Amino acid sequence: MAVLEIKDLHVAVAGKEILQGVNLTLRTGEIHAIMGPNGTGKSTLSEAIMGNPKYEVTQGEILLDGQDLLQMAVDERARAGLFLAMQYPAEIPGVTNVNFIRDAVNARREKPMPIREFLQEFDQALATLDMTEKMADRYLNQGFSGGEKKRNEILQMMMIKPKFAILDEIDSGLDIDALKVVARGVNQMRTPAFGALIITHYQRLLNYIVPDYVHVMMGGRIVQHGGPELAQKLEAEGYAGLRDELGLDIKLVDEN
Amino acid sequence: MKKQANACLPNSTTEPTWFKAYRQQALQASATLARPVFERIDYHRWPIALQQFDQATSSLEDTAISSDLYQDNTFVWTNKHTQWCQLAQKWQAQGVIMCDWHTALTKHADLIQKYYGKTVKWDENQLTAQHAAWMQGGLFIYVPRNVQVTEPLVSYLIQDARTTADFVPHVLIVAAENSSLTYLENLQTIGSKEATANIIVEVVARPGSHVNFASSDRLGPNTTAYLNRRATVERDARIDWSMGMMNDGNTVGDFDSDLVGNGAHAEVKIVAMTSAKQVQGIDSRVTNKAPNTIGHILQHGVILGKSQLIFNGIGHILHGAKGADAQQESRVLMLSKQGRGDANPILLIDDNDVTAGHAASVGRIDEEQMYYLMSRGLSKELAERLVIRGFLGPVLNKIPDKHTLTTLEKVCEQKLIEGQKNA
Repeated sequence: MAVLEIKDLHVAVAGKEILQGVNLTLRTGEIHAIMGPNGTGKSTLSEAIMGNPKYEVTQGEILLDGQDLLQMAVDERARAGLFLAMQYPAEIPGVTNVNFIRDAVNARREKPMPIREFLQEFDQALATLDMTEKMADRYLNQGFSGGEKKRNEILQMMMIKPKFAILDEIDSGLDIDALKVVARGVNQMRTPAFGALIITHYQRLLNYIVPDYVHVMMGGRIVQHGGPELAQKLEAEGYAGLRDELGLDIKLVDEN
Repeated sequence: MKKQANACLPNSTTEPTWFKAYRQQALQASATLARPVFERIDYHRWPIALQQFDQATSSLEDTAISSDLYQDNTFVWTNKHTQWCQLAQKWQAQGVIMCDWHTALTKHADLIQKYYGKTVKWDENQLTAQHAAWMQGGLFIYVPRNVQVTEPLVSYLIQDARTTADFVPHVLIVAAENSSLTYLENLQTIGSKEATANIIVEVVARPGSHVNFASSDRLGPNTTAYLNRRATVERDARIDWSMGMMNDGNTVGDFDSDLVGNGAHAEVKIVAMTSAKQVQGIDSRVTNKAPNTIGHILQHGVILGKSQLIFNGIGHILHGAKGADAQQESRVLMLSKQGRGDANPILLIDDNDVTAGHAASVGRIDEEQMYYLMSRGLSKELAERLVIRGFLGPVLNKIPDKHTLTTLEKVCEQKLIEGQKNA
């Protein structure tokens, strides 16, 4: 079992403090969901864990099995077992999807994976995600629709097999069919060797990927912990309802 | 630069009198002619002048050269010495000539006299004059009328830098009416002494012919080079240039296409990479001298370390070249903060009834792309290589000849990996 610990994490973006002391522990075999209104720091948390240089950790720790992730470069964190399915994946012209994924898989191995074995796994993952073989030879994310990009993130996750995956609003811009497909991919990964942190503002995704734990984030902190029922409650009462119930003095971005 | 006027010329007993006179004339002029000027390429302090022309170099049968190179349709040459020259029987039977300079002067003097020095004239500037005076030999290719040479003709011009001797080969390619050929030139260096190279390629594309010229340029870090490649393109003829400028030393690339006949067409594609502290200045020019001519320049380059890369793209449409088209795109990608890049488009248009356009950019590597690739576990070096491959793709993907493409991809990757190590 692997453990990802986030302790008293403070993160600033362009000098402004967004996260104000986040504490969270994930174990493999568990699926956690973080819900919260817009502009509350959910994406900041995921980018800071991955090591995006635009996000500056000002205080706190992130440990993977006791290893200090904050001392590691982005690629080292990835090879240590982290994966971030991004909201806005970069487009890389001239690099085919399949070659890139093979490079990514091999970056974690002493010896490159035999090509036949790789392609077999790759084809299976494509099938699980209802993706056509054409996606293999297209340039990485270039000209992909929103839905294709999300599926492609999950495809990479399935091939890379990280210890911990962070799925940052993987449901945004997906119709219900695509949502089910993406959920199928994630659920297939659900083993004792895999943990995930799902970031979303809607409860809908959690109908398809049922989390073990739900955390609510507001104003740069986690303000409530619970099980799947917490998501249901939020769906019914909204974030403002929970905020008022907790007596928090936080202004929601989308509030009039 | 002052050159002693009494400096000796190559003392060959076999060269025809007219050729010796030509050398003599060029030598005298080289003392007074000025060096060529290229926008934003400052090379005046480089040791680019020839002066070690007389130094002895290794003899025939050089063991440092891999015998793998000795194939059909291949020419291998080191300073002054032809190591190998073999043209397949079927091409010989159709009258195709591929021979070294010595043979050309002996057996094909009429053709040499007709075409040599006409596309790049010796009195253009000091460097062309020095070249004409001290050229050490090289290659002559002639494809007769209506013959299509469907296999690439390959040359290896190997600079022997185990001494400081100058390296001065000349290549003359003549494609007669409605003929076609693909020529792939490999420039390489053995040894690491400081030396000067002055290499001139002349291409004559007669009416209706098609020449694919490709080069894989990989001269060594201590070689200062002047590369002049130029084509005269006649009526309805076409030249495709595909060049990989992967030299490691200071280099001036002076590349011209003169579109002299109605409907002549030049496509110039260049990928370039600079690393360590080197400078490569690349001046690509197409001159539309006749109506309905087409000149396109596409050049992409990458800068590593503290190096400098300058792209000039010059499209010049002369008065009377109605219906001419001049387009160009130069893009430079910088991987380091210490490097310097320049993409300099120059359009000179003397007629109204023409189309012309340009695009140029110098940019740094995209941090978002790097972050994304590294977040998948790829090392910084590999991520950079992927981004660069993507950046060079639009040029590489348009290279017409498969064999050339494979050669260029390989040489790019090689230079890139070495450049990253030295950065």
